[in-house]
Amino acid sequence: MELKKTSLYDKHLSLKAKMVPFAGYDMPIQYTSVKDESLSVRKSVGMFDVSHMGEFWVEGKEATSFIDSFLPNDVLTPPIGKAIYSPLCDNNGNIIDDLIVYKVRADKILICVNASNIDKDWNWINSLPKPSTVKLTNASENFSLIALQGPKAEEVLFSILNNLAVKNLGYYTVAELVYNNESVILARTGYTGEDGFEIFCSHKMAQHLWDKLLERSVVPCGLAARDVLRLEAGFPLYGQELNNELTPLDAGLKWTVKLNKNNFVGKSALEKYNSKYVQVKLILDNGIPRPNYKVENASGEAIGIVTSGTMSVILEKGIALAQIDKNKNPSDKKYFVNIRDKKYSCVVTTKPFVTGGHK
Amino acid sequence: MSAKKIPSNLKYTVEHEWADVNGDIATIGITDFAQSSLGDIVFVELPEVGDKLEQGNTFGVVESIKSVSDLFTPFSGEVLEVNNKIVDSPELLNNDAYGSWMIKIKISDKNQLKNLLDAKKYEEHCETSH
Repeated sequence: MELKKTSLYDKHLSLKAKMVPFAGYDMPIQYTSVKDESLSVRKSVGMFDVSHMGEFWVEGKEATSFIDSFLPNDVLTPPIGKAIYSPLCDNNGNIIDDLIVYKVRADKILICVNASNIDKDWNWINSLPKPSTVKLTNASENFSLIALQGPKAEEVLFSILNNLAVKNLGYYTVAELVYNNESVILARTGYTGEDGFEIFCSHKMAQHLWDKLLERSVVPCGLAARDVLRLEAGFPLYGQELNNELTPLDAGLKWTVKLNKNNFVGKSALEKYNSKYVQVKLILDNGIPRPNYKVENASGEAIGIVTSGTMSVILEKGIALAQIDKNKNPSDKKYFVNIRDKKYSCVVTTKPFVTGGHK
Repeated sequence: MSAKKIPSNLKYTVEHEWADVNGDIATIGITDFAQSSLGDIVFVELPEVGDKLEQGNTFGVVESIKSVSDLFTPFSGEVLEVNNKIVDSPELLNNDAYGSWMIKIKISDKNQLKNLLDAKKYEEHCETSH
């Protein structure tokens, strides 16, 4: 199958990005260097073309209650303008995807899903009982999406949009604004652990904004830097930390499962569920952990696996998210990663590896 | 790929190692093509002096932020010297791949030279590796 191109494809080529197939799209993995790109986001501001992500509109007066009926997290209580992260689960409580719900208006809600799961999510949500007043639209092909991330994101974006909404938008909120006579959905969300925005807009608008951002020396960042940054922030990735054989309770997402709210898809299964795994964050003194490397206890017994691992650019140390068998989780909290048959000791951290400044 | 980045006096493996042969001693490193494909190199693991290597087998590992690659020895032989400078500062490989040797080995069989590529063949190989 031929790879799809985002609206910014030609921009990536003219920047000489290294392109790779990702979720059916030909995407930039790196422009100059993963290190420089990652550091630009931590210290200044970088931008990502994430137009491959999926967007669904849910419209109608019962839109919110419909979404609340199939997500483990609480979508009803947060006010209009909030963004809500949630896993999407099946009837067994197993994870289909993770997503963000943007309460743009009371009767108009945007859901942003992972690119590789668009069709699966769309079919699943459409298979659920829904009020006749609710209208679902798969707008994935109509939206471009630019993530602008880093401590200087607000300053740069304000200089372009010249709209106070940029400054007034709080962390994990969303606003619909008009720029150049076009509607733009602006959210203060991201996947890097830094302050920043995700800008949902038309393809033409994305091309315009990309150029404006480049003029202001915003650093284009590829998928490789994005993966390093999200891992440094301790965020899970579907396909690595999350998959259909795990529930949110196995994957460090207990905080998103609101068992005290009204019924939702998977609730009865999750109420009874005894989790099989615990997720831990590991920092290595030496060596670089990689996905599927074994995690061992002090006596060398395999107790789990690394789900994501990399060299942290900002810490200059190997870091990992690991899935540990719950009944083998060592009480002494001593974890070792097996790298090429050598044991590397780890420090466990309960906080994100890196904490950026959120507004 | 510009020819000047492939020194004509060296021999090459298809896995992008170079070897500088001086009598029965080979100095070994990775090529500019290799460092450029890898990106920011952050970790290098090398054998120890005295280790015996077999041509085509791995003698170490080089890791970028996002990837792990094995190193393949161009010759069989005993490790005479290891350049620990690049273990301490792996970024040297990005700065100057041909100036940053990894190991020196005592070649046990010079006939193995015929299994390696000369600069011209290696350049062709790089062009098809894109």
